[in-house]
Amino acid sequence: MNTFAQITLALVGVYFVWLAFFGLRRHRQLVQGPWLFFFRAFFPNWKFYHAAGGAPRLYVRAQGADGVWGDWQRVYARIAHRAHHLLHNPVVNLALNHQNLVDHLWSDVQDLPDGADIRERVTYQLVTRLAHEAVRGGRWGEVPMLPAAMPEAAHFQFALRMDDLFEQDRVPASSELVLQSPVLPTWN
Amino acid sequence: MELMAVPLQLDLHLAVRAFELLLGLSLVLQCIEYLRIPALDRVNDWAILRQEIPTHPPGVRALLDLLLSPRTYRVLMVLRLALAVGLMSGGLGLAGAAMLFAIALVLLLRWRGAFNGGSDFMTLVGLTGLLIAHLVGHAMGMDWGWRAGFWYITLHALTSYFMSGWVKLLHPSWRSGRALPLFLDTGIYGPLPQHSAYRHPALARAISWTFTVWEGLFPLALLDVRLAALFCTVASVFHFLVFRFFGLNRFFWAWLTTYPAILWCAGRLPL
Repeated sequence: MNTFAQITLALVGVYFVWLAFFGLRRHRQLVQGPWLFFFRAFFPNWKFYHAAGGAPRLYVRAQGADGVWGDWQRVYARIAHRAHHLLHNPVVNLALNHQNLVDHLWSDVQDLPDGADIRERVTYQLVTRLAHEAVRGGRWGEVPMLPAAMPEAAHFQFALRMDDLFEQDRVPASSELVLQSPVLPTWN
Repeated sequence: MELMAVPLQLDLHLAVRAFELLLGLSLVLQCIEYLRIPALDRVNDWAILRQEIPTHPPGVRALLDLLLSPRTYRVLMVLRLALAVGLMSGGLGLAGAAMLFAIALVLLLRWRGAFNGGSDFMTLVGLTGLLIAHLVGHAMGMDWGWRAGFWYITLHALTSYFMSGWVKLLHPSWRSGRALPLFLDTGIYGPLPQHSAYRHPALARAISWTFTVWEGLFPLALLDVRLAALFCTVASVFHFLVFRFFGLNRFFWAWLTTYPAILWCAGRLPL
């Protein structure tokens, strides 16, 4: 083995040892700052699906013209699998992006400084649009966002809950309220 | 006997062509989706998203307003599509690589740092590797350029598997296998059928251990190109299964893009 290969091997070895002892530790908000947030793709942590506890979920309800509120419904995409999705899958990717917004809103709530207003956060405003879209009969492609939308609703409300991933008959074993919006008017 | 001692190595030019084809294809598929999404999405309104763009340095918001107007955004995606086709044809130079990289940065700003999470991150790794290859190649020759670019991509790809595997193994729910059906139930194509085999604790534990240990050991792929080929083959199956359950088609293509680099780097460190 030549010297170049030996040095490269040593560096690669040191790198993975460092990762094992430092990279695997929990780091809260290692990357901070507005520009770093947008460019966090340069510092990925590559931790996918690692903690099987709870997950943030969006719930909405709407008030009909008669003033009666409907039930809370979960906004969570379930779409039929198609083989061609491997090549072209905009609807599923958009639905996943919407769920990411819900996850990021939860993260913003956790990190909200004292005295700050969550309604000023972009995630809150986008999730408000997502909730509104769901209430008004929005779809991911052909799939309705809600089992029972209320397109004529005059008001709506959304809630962010932390649901246990373990479910019995599609009902989470536990569900903790994280945030509930005020009653909001619908718009056109 | 002497022939047996010579380590197998992937030819650099073959690896470069495979990388360009796969990265180009991955970008083409993404662009076609990006062109379709504005008609489907009534949530990610740029008028709201732009509030998060820092006001310093001045002029960035105004530039992004221009670049991300519906018409210009479409033009950008068509340009990216054309550059991706150019990459697949093998005719993309430094200027093209720089443009692809710059458009990727605009997309990060458009989608709050990522449209689709990890697949955007790995796509950026590929594009950064491509840019490194051309920048270093411009100064020192393309052979050196591709060496630098491929090592950059390989280290990121191996890190992604290493981290993903060991982080899971540190969690009791993954070691017991309990996490597997829980996550599969959340899949966009899910939930699992009530009597799915994945709900069987012993099978779930076996699958969890198999995949997480395999991920954690992925850096060993560097030791031999045949070992790397085995790791990459299993990885392809793994990413296909992730697509099958979670709909993450972009992940499949983004990670596939890195395999020529891994295969080339493997065997360069003979023990």
